[in-house]
Amino acid sequence: MTQTTGTNPGGAEGTAPEPESAARPGALFGPGTRFHRLFDDPCWAAAMIRATVLEAAHPQIGAALVDSSTFVTHPWRRMTNTLRSLQRMAGTDEPAREREAARLNRMHARLNGTDAANRPYDAMDPAARAWVVATMFESAVTMFRWSGRPLDQAAMEELYAQFRAFQAVMGDLPGQLPESLKDFWPYYDRVVEEELENTEALRTILYHLFDHLPAPPLLEGVPTLWAAGRALAGPAIGVVTVASLPETFRRRAGLTELPGAEALTQGAYLALGAARLLPDGWITTENLLDLLSLSPDSDDPRGRTLAAVGDGMKRFGALLRLITPLPDASDRPGAGASAGRSAQGDAGRRGAEEFFDAVLDQTGNGYLDWPDLAAMARELSGRLDLDEPEETRLYAACAAWWRELQSALDTDGDGRISRQEYAEAVPSLAGPALIRVAEVLFDVTDADGNQTIDADEYRALFRTGFRRELLDADGTYTRAAFIKDFLAFMAGRQRSSAFDPLLAQA
Amino acid sequence: MAVEQVFGGPSPPAGAVVPRPVVPRSADGERTDATPRHVACVMDGNGRWAARRDLPRTSGHRAAEATVIDIVEAARSAGVRWLSLYAFSTENWRRPGEEVDYLLCLVRRVVRKHAPLLHARGIRCRFLGGADARIPAELARDFADLTTLTSRNRGMTLTVAFDHGGRRDIVEAARSLIRSGAAPEAVDEDSFAAHLPFPDTPDVDLVIRTSGEQRISNFMLWQVAYAEWVFPSVLWPDFRATHFLECLNTYQRRHRRFGGVAADTNGEPGS
Repeated sequence: MTQTTGTNPGGAEGTAPEPESAARPGALFGPGTRFHRLFDDPCWAAAMIRATVLEAAHPQIGAALVDSSTFVTHPWRRMTNTLRSLQRMAGTDEPAREREAARLNRMHARLNGTDAANRPYDAMDPAARAWVVATMFESAVTMFRWSGRPLDQAAMEELYAQFRAFQAVMGDLPGQLPESLKDFWPYYDRVVEEELENTEALRTILYHLFDHLPAPPLLEGVPTLWAAGRALAGPAIGVVTVASLPETFRRRAGLTELPGAEALTQGAYLALGAARLLPDGWITTENLLDLLSLSPDSDDPRGRTLAAVGDGMKRFGALLRLITPLPDASDRPGAGASAGRSAQGDAGRRGAEEFFDAVLDQTGNGYLDWPDLAAMARELSGRLDLDEPEETRLYAACAAWWRELQSALDTDGDGRISRQEYAEAVPSLAGPALIRVAEVLFDVTDADGNQTIDADEYRALFRTGFRRELLDADGTYTRAAFIKDFLAFMAGRQRSSAFDPLLAQA
Repeated sequence: MAVEQVFGGPSPPAGAVVPRPVVPRSADGERTDATPRHVACVMDGNGRWAARRDLPRTSGHRAAEATVIDIVEAARSAGVRWLSLYAFSTENWRRPGEEVDYLLCLVRRVVRKHAPLLHARGIRCRFLGGADARIPAELARDFADLTTLTSRNRGMTLTVAFDHGGRRDIVEAARSLIRSGAAPEAVDEDSFAAHLPFPDTPDVDLVIRTSGEQRISNFMLWQVAYAEWVFPSVLWPDFRATHFLECLNTYQRRHRRFGGVAADTNGEPGS
């Protein structure tokens, strides 16, 4: 089972260089290179989780993750974005790669601050950035080993050179990562032994994320089914991830290893690795992510099938709930008669707390803070593929909105807005700064500047086609209509088939 | 057994021209011998059924469950396309708290117990009313689930009126109409009806009220405007498929007579 495309039958894969017909000789990136294929490997998802855990254990990166990352509330969105970004970085298109690198750098330049212990962190710190590349490389090597396809020395060196080239494209000066693979392992072991800590981000990923992983959009209709599956799979993913970490680190961080975890881990990687044997294109990480991030009412080419699947899922979920036996089948008086249905009163409108959790609190820490609005700006500019100066305009508008919110809602003066503060104020969010955000968002979405959003511009932002009810009489989406819809969503807490997938989707 | 009475107004004197409005169903030309398209049942007599047996009122409600299932099946096999059942009115909240609680539990159990069967028979289920905060959230959830589950079914449509009031529906429709900003001159019966809950529901052709009671009791007021009413004296827990078929029969005979009058008066004004 180690053989898929090899030309040396009987030999274990990796003992000879794999055919790389599609790759230009000496190319570091592009289709056919090991680097590029890596991101299409089904095992890469597991390796990426592992790499993220190792990154989170780095004090600087962990602090940035805890403060700014949306992976707790929007894990699927974040995973999709990360993967797309890696694929661009590994693709053939040189200008696209450079733009992506510049975008990533701008994004990371915005992530800095101080952690809970008042130590400063900076996502542009060269040592921290080198560590990210190191964990990805090391996790890839581990992934190949666990899934029964160990890399030989030459292949490993080639992959290492590609990751170093990746780092160079990011504009990092050489020197942070050792020149040769021989020196890499001592560097890696030293960081693991001396720098990694049992950070808050690490604990959040290991002990919170997998047990509370929200359903991907497609499965939102069947929360019962999702919760049941998660109850089994969540702890298993945690165990597998912990068991795959370097042993020295496990010991230092006090992560207990369960008996049999190693076998489970090997089994998981082998099973994922076996997915390679399926016909081409059946399971690529890309396709899976596409499916996971699609919302059932998108009009993607697969949209109709997907809508039907989503619809079927909803009905299946309903049946499942109906046939689940009641906990107490006796003629007990209807409990909770007064409690229920309060949210039902105004159809299509969320309760304040629900809106807070679903839309405002992007980082999922229970507070509305600048990182939450920065995460929105990040998502929006990522979707629109913004360059400077548009990206900065959008961030600046969000920053002004943040100051407006802070002065209006932060009643206890701790610098952030709690769910309660938000709910109690039953706020009228539609201050001038929010309207400004709507205007700037319209401007940057309207790429050709003709003062209406046409079909392509709409698709870039919402990843789906126009809906007829949005358009005015001449079939365009005007500035006024766009701003009105955005404000109805943000300030009126109206559900919206367009904005919900944009900002509320997991 | 049944006390029959036309509820639409006093019987017309012989030979008088009955100014019968043109009802939607007259257009489809299926007036004679036709199975009524939409049958509604007011399920009356559960309490009396129990009292006659010295049982608590609640056991009458429990006995009603079997009738409901029986009648749903009878209506489906008789070719009725729309069946509405009046399960609980907005006025029923005034009953003793214990009885209301029991009813809420019973309905929940019945819904859950029969959901797969209703779905398997291709019946589309939905619930009319149900806006009251006193309805437990779990029950509302089950209602929504059954509606979702059976939403694609194309067999008979079963509408369960729960926490329903005919006047309230009309008031709600008026509110919705005003909110939509319709011009007063533009409002006619059809455009008004479009604002009622489940506007796709056709007019009720036949209402069956068991136990001999002869009242409307605020039931689907708009939709029963031209309905025929029959009042079998049998109590709802004793009402069975045979009684139901008798009612359909009564409707068809009565209808044939009406068809004759209508054809003479309205059909060919010149002859």
